[in-house]
Amino acid sequence: MQKMIAVDRLARPDEQILVPVERIREARIDQRLLANNVMPFEEDFLKGRLHGIATGEMQAMEAAGRTLFDFPDAPWEFQLDMARQVWDESRHAEIFSKLLEYVGSYLGEFPESEILWSCTQVDDPACRVAGINRGLEGLACDVFEQIIRMGQKMGDPIIERAVDYVLADEITHVRMGSKWMRKLTEGDPERLQRAQQFQDNIDALFNFDGFRTSKEAAPQVPLMLGSRQVDFDATLTISRETRLLAGFTDEEIDRLMKAAARSSAY
Amino acid sequence: MSDLGNRSSVTGPQPIGERFVVPPAMLAAAENILELLAQGQRAELETLVAAKATGELGELLDALAPGAYQSHEIIAHAKANNHYYLKARLFGARAAPFTLQLRLGEHAGRWIIWEAVNLSGGRTAWTR
Repeated sequence: MQKMIAVDRLARPDEQILVPVERIREARIDQRLLANNVMPFEEDFLKGRLHGIATGEMQAMEAAGRTLFDFPDAPWEFQLDMARQVWDESRHAEIFSKLLEYVGSYLGEFPESEILWSCTQVDDPACRVAGINRGLEGLACDVFEQIIRMGQKMGDPIIERAVDYVLADEITHVRMGSKWMRKLTEGDPERLQRAQQFQDNIDALFNFDGFRTSKEAAPQVPLMLGSRQVDFDATLTISRETRLLAGFTDEEIDRLMKAAARSSAY
Repeated sequence: MSDLGNRSSVTGPQPIGERFVVPPAMLAAAENILELLAQGQRAELETLVAAKATGELGELLDALAPGAYQSHEIIAHAKANNHYYLKARLFGARAAPFTLQLRLGEHAGRWIIWEAVNLSGGRTAWTR
């Protein structure tokens, strides 16, 4: 079986539409929308966001499985952690598929982007866990914390609790990533630096051109809840509390916040 | 503005939001475009493409064996705001099935092609 699956070779059944993220951005620009991500003021927001997460969970499951397969000489405990992560991500994919149905959508309603899989394109397990577990799962901590707050504001215990359940796992995945990034690079500062650099690149990829702020700094936009209007964040927020729980240091979070602010200035 | 659903039904009947309806006009336009592709009707197709996608459409037409396809099938579609990605396959008695992907979007009251990609020989359902 082939190792290091390239982005355009990721398998999907016929009925799934998988599109490179650049093309999805282009489609948004053609419709005079902001290039990145569904935004809270768009009609598709909640369905689109949950769909993006559901497909992201599937790719995260495949990524952990591929990491297990791609690096057979990695320590046994590392392989066990990756196997556990496959199991976790498969549950998450199921949870988000059900949440999609809950909000009146379904898997396949929107295109799936290849962006998460593009973050697996590295042949060092230390870089792989730095990018996926710390970069992407760190982003998931932010996104999920925001959806939980949205569920609370909506008075919707189903969304709130389902996502909180998933977030608990993501926090352990980040911690797992931090542990293995350090363990695999012990005594090799250059390799550690490469892993951190790989994660930095992924963090930069998800800065969304300044559409990330702290939750305190997020401008508020009106959303409709049936006939009622509520105000909610207009940006994708960075959650310091959740990232601290996941083991990121204050310094790392400050760096991420500064990078997001710099991106906004551009 | 987005509608997050009717909260009065949170613990009652589900789902809380309604499904979006796929525009019948988009599906009708897709059927027509696929028919034209199967027949290799280049001139007519060139009136149904956004300027930015003319090159891609040309490449797609160049890859199609002329007159080799008699029927088509829409395999999947996915919503990208008000545009739709569409995966389809052309069939012919003496040709291998040809898989392609289009993005259709409404422009000046007509559904036109914004992207055209040849997917034949591309990813499969299994990675080995």
